[in-house]
Amino acid sequence: MLIRITPGDPAATRLGAGAELEAIEALRKQLKLDVSPIEQFLSYASGLFRGDLGVSLVTDVEVLEVIRNTLPLTLTYIFLSVFFAFLISIPISTLVGWSNKASVVYLFRGITSVIIATPNFFIAMIGILLFSVRREWAPVFGYVNDFPENLKYLWLPVSINTLILVAIISRVLQSSIVDTKGEEFVETGIIRGVSRPRFFLFYILKPSMAPTVVLLSYMMGIMLGATVILETIFSLPGIGRELVGAVLASDYPMVQGILLFFGVITVFLSFIGDLCAYALDRRVKL
Amino acid sequence: MKTINTAANVQTRRQRLKEWVSLPGGFGIITGISMFLTIVLIGVIHPFISAYEPDEFVGESFQPPSWQHPFGLDQLGRDVMTRTFAAVPADIGVAFLGVSIPLVIGTLIGILLGLAKNKYFVSLVSSIIDGINAFPLLIIAIAMISFLGPGLYNVVIILTIMNWARYARIARTKAVVVLQQNYIEAAQLMGYSKKRIIFKHVTPNVSSESLAYALSDFILVIIIVSGLSFLGLAARPPAAEWGAMIADGRTYLGDAWWITIFPGVALCWSAIALSFIVEGLSRRDKGN
Repeated sequence: MLIRITPGDPAATRLGAGAELEAIEALRKQLKLDVSPIEQFLSYASGLFRGDLGVSLVTDVEVLEVIRNTLPLTLTYIFLSVFFAFLISIPISTLVGWSNKASVVYLFRGITSVIIATPNFFIAMIGILLFSVRREWAPVFGYVNDFPENLKYLWLPVSINTLILVAIISRVLQSSIVDTKGEEFVETGIIRGVSRPRFFLFYILKPSMAPTVVLLSYMMGIMLGATVILETIFSLPGIGRELVGAVLASDYPMVQGILLFFGVITVFLSFIGDLCAYALDRRVKL
Repeated sequence: MKTINTAANVQTRRQRLKEWVSLPGGFGIITGISMFLTIVLIGVIHPFISAYEPDEFVGESFQPPSWQHPFGLDQLGRDVMTRTFAAVPADIGVAFLGVSIPLVIGTLIGILLGLAKNKYFVSLVSSIIDGINAFPLLIIAIAMISFLGPGLYNVVIILTIMNWARYARIARTKAVVVLQQNYIEAAQLMGYSKKRIIFKHVTPNVSSESLAYALSDFILVIIIVSGLSFLGLAARPPAAEWGAMIADGRTYLGDAWWITIFPGVALCWSAIALSFIVEGLSRRDKGN
């Protein structure tokens, strides 16, 4: 709503510098920017109920259409990173959590805190320098929307995202495993002679996963931020790059639409996260 | 006699320091503090001793690191070392403002909220706080920049608007506990004014937790300030700022890695220094 009452005139931006005043005025009428902000908000809100997020001021494409086109890539990207992150961090944190060696734990915490403190765009720069410039294993940027072809463009951004997620997830999981180890049912499991895989899966991992899954909404915030930056760096045509472009072009309907969408995703996923945590550990209160 | 006395004093002080370091987390805290002080000191001293101005064109573009220009020259022939160190106030200074202003405002609001009696008022403000906290910070910052316009001061404003809520949450939780303590009741019985009780008795006891969170928030804020600048949404191009410099060097990564890497290393250095302090303090807190 506030975005409406802002400096920066999209009509002027769209026609470029040196456009004539009459032309700007005409375009403002056409884009319905000449009515009061309150009227603009009311017509936007009523459109929202009909599933109409408005039309981009810059490209004249419907916002919903843009979201529909860019979202699959972003979702693929996020789900791939989350999947690999869990795949890697579960064994690491189980090993570190199970070994009582102080040196291993210090090393683990040191490395993960360095990764978390390093900004993702700098990790991306180093990644590009090592794998694209020096080795040419990955293209510097760009994207092709074909199945086997696109992996070539996706693997570097996905692995950078995975690296950051592994650091976050494995820290939480490790400390939660250390907590679980002290529980009485773990002792009972050892005494009853439960088989090794069953012991680690059901006695250690399952109860330890709950705090990690609750973190999902927090991680989602980080993921969306990381997506915005990494998509911009690697020129992936996802929703994050669209947002930055819309902000720079003061394309209000686009910014509003994408933000609204992000808000819905965040709320929805934190709800799913709470549900999963409850399924994993019934002591968690909903 | 006097000299022996000082020597003994130094000895005990050194011993005390040694003891303090040997406590859990001491090594991390010392390393972190010295790393952080180094970069801040360089940032403060640098303008007085540097041979070049951050915006000065000192030679041919894309000169690799040499003795004369240890970090090389960038695409416009500016000294990368001068620019990297000149960016300290832009990054650490802005991040410091972006942490300390919300810290003060949020803690005060939190304490007042802990004192407030009106149930509806408390639940209204609490739900506003929860609502603000639910949003991913970077995304909301990007959105707010679209109507405030790019700029480092706008980033401070945005951080103030968004971040006070976290401090208010922490302070309120703690204030509710502190207000039930006997010493608060004692202070009330002594007839101290409400103002004095809030500032002299409640605030010091509440602020320890807020300060601990502020330290870890500092890392996040440094990353957000530089990340926004990297996207071209905070510091604008001619300004020396790490994120903006990394974005500048991105195009020339293949031929001139030094434009990107040195500001990046400075950025990581500060963030990692802070995270060592946070890590050390949390280990000391847990006592292992």
